[in-house]
Amino acid sequence: MGGVKLRNHRLRIAFVSVSFAVVSIAAFVSSTAAQTFKKAIPTPADWAAVAKLPDFTGVWEIPLGGPAARVTNPAIGVPPRRFAPLSLTPEYEAKRKDLMAHAEQDNQSANCLPPGMPGIMAQPYPMEFLLTPGQVTIIIEAYSETRHIYTDGRPLPDDPDPTFFGTSVGHWEGDTLVVHTVGFSTQTEIEPHVPHSDKMSILEKFRLLDPNTMSVETTVTDPEALAAPYVTNRILKRHRSWTIAEYICEQNNRNYVDRSGKAGINLTVPSDATPAPK
Amino acid sequence: MKPITKYAVLAAILFSGLVAATAGAAAHHGFAVFDTSSQKTITGTVHEFQWTNPHTWVWLDVPNGKGGVDTYGFEGMSPNYLERRGWTRKTLKPGDTITVTYFPLKNGDKGGSFLIGKRPNGEELRMFLDSPTEDH
Repeated sequence: MGGVKLRNHRLRIAFVSVSFAVVSIAAFVSSTAAQTFKKAIPTPADWAAVAKLPDFTGVWEIPLGGPAARVTNPAIGVPPRRFAPLSLTPEYEAKRKDLMAHAEQDNQSANCLPPGMPGIMAQPYPMEFLLTPGQVTIIIEAYSETRHIYTDGRPLPDDPDPTFFGTSVGHWEGDTLVVHTVGFSTQTEIEPHVPHSDKMSILEKFRLLDPNTMSVETTVTDPEALAAPYVTNRILKRHRSWTIAEYICEQNNRNYVDRSGKAGINLTVPSDATPAPK
Repeated sequence: MKPITKYAVLAAILFSGLVAATAGAAAHHGFAVFDTSSQKTITGTVHEFQWTNPHTWVWLDVPNGKGGVDTYGFEGMSPNYLERRGWTRKTLKPGDTITVTYFPLKNGDKGGSFLIGKRPNGEELRMFLDSPTEDH
C-alpha cells in the first residue's frame, strides 16, 4: 500500500510539474506573440546619439490666442489649421450628425473618459517630450496621459488591440520625427463628435520651426470614415519654466448624465469638515 | 475708463467669444448645462474654494432673505490652467466677500460657470485669461 501511495505521490509531483511547464510554455508563447520585439540595452553610443537629435525636451503648449479663444478654447479643445475641409463618407457623415444631435448627452467627458488620439494632442494644456534611446515619450497633462513612441525600429503590430492612444512607432527623417500610429478604440473621435472606424491610422510629423516653436502636422486616414485624408497643423510653444501638473479628472468630477440623457451637474456642497487652506 | 465701463467691455468680450465658439463646437465637460446667452451677478461670502480637477469650484454663501443662506456652486477652470495665470489655491478663502458674474445653470439650480469675481476693493478675479507669455 505504502509503495502505491509513494508511486501516486511521485506521479502527482510529475503531473504537477508537467502541468506547470505546459502552463509556463503557453504563457511564454502568448507573451512572445504579443511582444516579439525586444528592446536593446542602451549603450553610451545610443545616449550620445540622443544628444544629437533636435531638442524637443521640455514642456510645450498650444498658444490659446486672442480674446475669443482665451474664453472658449479651454472648454472645447484647440482648433487646428486645416489644409482641406474634413470630408466624411456618407455613412460616417450620418453618424456625425447623430452624435451632434445627442451632443447634450456627452457621456464620455461627463464620465471623465479622456479624449484619446488624436484629440489628446489638441488639449489646452501642456505636454512634455522625453527623448531616450529608442523611444520618444510624450507626457500629456490633460487627464495625466502618456504616449509611447518607439523609435527602435520595431514594426507596427499587424493586429493591435484597439486603445485610446493607439500603438505608435517613429523614426527620424532629418530633423523631423515621423510617427505612425494604428489600433484605435472607436470611443475616440477625430474631432469633437466626428467618429472614426477601427481602420483609422494617424501620421504625425514633429519638427522645430525655431528653437522654441514646434510644428505638428497630423494626417488622419480612415478608409471607412474619411473620403480623403484629413491633414491639420498645430503649433506648440516651449515653456522652459513649466512643469507638468497633476490632472486627476475623477478627483472632483461633478458632471453626470441622467436617465433621459440630459447632462447635469452635482451641486452637493462640499463637507464643512474639509479644512480650508490657510 | 470708469471701472463699470471697463467691466462691461470685459463682459462683452467674454460673452461674444463664448457664444461664437460654443455654437459650432462640442461642449467639453458638460458646458452644455450652462446658459451662455445670459449672465447673472450675485454677492456672497466664500463658503469653500475647491482647488481640484477637472474644475475648481467656488462655493458662495448668499443671504436668502429668510435669515439664512443659500450656498451657490460656481464651476471654474482647472488648477493647471489657473496656476499659470496668477491664481493659487489661496486666492479665495472662506469668508471672503465677492460678487460673482456667471453663466447660470439652464435648469435654474443655484450656481453656474464663474466668469469674473469682484472683491469689495474692486479687484477682479477673472477665470478666463490670456495665454501666459512664453519663456524659453
